[in-house]
Amino acid sequence: MTAVDGISFSIEAGESVAYVGPNGAGKSTTVKLLTGILVPSSGTVSVCGLTPFRDRVTNAKNISVVFGQRTQLWWDIPVVESFRLLGDIYEVGAADFQRSTAELTEVLELGDLLSVPARQLSLGQRMRCDLAAALIHSPRVLYLDEPTIGLDVAVKARFREFIRYLHRERGLTVVLTSHDLGDIEELCPRMMMIDRGRIIYDGALADLNQRFGWEKRVSVTLTAEVADAHLLALQALGSLPVRVEHRTDASFDIWFDSRIAKAGEILRSLPTSLPVADVAIEETGIEAIVRQLYEGQLSFAEPSEDPPSSGADRG
Amino acid sequence: MRIVASASTRTKPVPKYVSIAQTSLQQAIAYRLTTLFTIGLTFIWVFILYYVWKAAYSDQAVIEGFTWDEMRTYVVLAYAINALVGWRIGAQMMATIRSGEVVIELVRPLNYCGTQLARATGFAVVEGILSLIITVIVGLLFLDILRPASPFMAALFILSLMIGFVSKALIVFSVSLLAFWTLNGTGLMWSQQAIVQVLSGTIVPIALLPGWLRLTAEVLPMRGIVSTPLTIYLGQAEGAQIVQLLALQVAWLIVLWIGGNWAWRRAFAAVETQGG
Repeated sequence: MTAVDGISFSIEAGESVAYVGPNGAGKSTTVKLLTGILVPSSGTVSVCGLTPFRDRVTNAKNISVVFGQRTQLWWDIPVVESFRLLGDIYEVGAADFQRSTAELTEVLELGDLLSVPARQLSLGQRMRCDLAAALIHSPRVLYLDEPTIGLDVAVKARFREFIRYLHRERGLTVVLTSHDLGDIEELCPRMMMIDRGRIIYDGALADLNQRFGWEKRVSVTLTAEVADAHLLALQALGSLPVRVEHRTDASFDIWFDSRIAKAGEILRSLPTSLPVADVAIEETGIEAIVRQLYEGQLSFAEPSEDPPSSGADRG
Repeated sequence: MRIVASASTRTKPVPKYVSIAQTSLQQAIAYRLTTLFTIGLTFIWVFILYYVWKAAYSDQAVIEGFTWDEMRTYVVLAYAINALVGWRIGAQMMATIRSGEVVIELVRPLNYCGTQLARATGFAVVEGILSLIITVIVGLLFLDILRPASPFMAALFILSLMIGFVSKALIVFSVSLLAFWTLNGTGLMWSQQAIVQVLSGTIVPIALLPGWLRLTAEVLPMRGIVSTPLTIYLGQAEGAQIVQLLALQVAWLIVLWIGGNWAWRRAFAAVETQGG
């Protein structure tokens, strides 16, 4: 089975990169290749000048992984003991260990948590301790695998702030795998999107909007049910490049290319026979673009300068 | 008994595998109730076998070269030794493999097999040695077991015991790797326990096994776990025989270590980790 195929990329030291894709796209496999857990059947992998699977142990000292769904703390023993053990496992010198734990304890506010066994921590507390645990040996590369899953808004914000701090203060290279676009927007200027084992996008997150943000949606809600309302609308809009989607008998969505059509034009063209109660116009945000990419509704192969000839026949 | 070194007092780094062993020692202490149950369970078996053999010896003085004194000693010590490596490292390994948590251990600069051995050692210090000490005390006081044949034999017994301990941990390790394929470890664990108990001579001395099974047991590594140390303890082997027994133990130890590490790499390459 081929999990990833023909993937080629390089990340500079000190860069922050998001690595996204739908479930099962091959993200974890890539991370496993980078950590040396998996041996590639062909091709080369190099991290900080090392081949991970050949120098797995040396490579392990350069990197660190934080899994949002798993903890690397020892469940039954106080957090501080996990730190001590990790210090030993990574052979951190006494002075470095002292400095590292002192800094992490202060920045992540772990003072009260150190004596608590990991199993008694809340998810947010655990995540803070897990982050500290991952950083005790001062890695050069940090892999974050779904780090904010299940965290509340406040904790999420603090987490992101901390990662930015690390990036700034320590020049840490961050590779982030996440389904949370907030994480990506706030942490990573660069995004790589992978699907079915291939990279389908590699570039700035902001560029996505320029490239795909032209699709807009008008959501129409009617005061009463009208049979085939969406078809009536489509008929009336006949000349415009739109796609109409039936939601219920009393509501429908009109998708249109904002480079060709204007929302006002569409509203004016709606048949007066439809009892319109409410209209909402939405731009396609990053979230929607990514969702559509996941669902295969958008394709990067399609040149962005070339608007679709007519959207009408797609509805 | 609690070993606590707070981060602020960690002035000297400890070698990593020693540190891992210390941590599992702490875990074993955290689960002292389970540990006590394990020891209690050992005793139930010791008493059952003690009385079964007592009955068997009521009308004969020697069975397959074992006197009642020797058999009594064997039964008591065999169970205590068998408790040195419990199900815990196997159960833990299987659980982490099944949940995919094993990934976390793999991103660390550790030899996985060595890590499991260090863990087994930590547990053994609490579970095994405690149970061994209690058994020996109870055995000497109430069940009147024999003392080691000589101080030199006692020293060789300890050496053989340690080799046997590592061998058993490696066997448990290798069997646990099957969890990569089967995903459910309970059955595996039980059958492994049963097979090891028979072939190591825990249930009955190997000399009492039927012909073909006996020949098999004599060459397999399980023998080194219980039978070999006890043969030395009881002074049933001497000179060249002891050298042979120890050589067989060491040879198997090397094979099991290399085999375990190889199997580990195979297991990991062949099977996708659970949960991505």
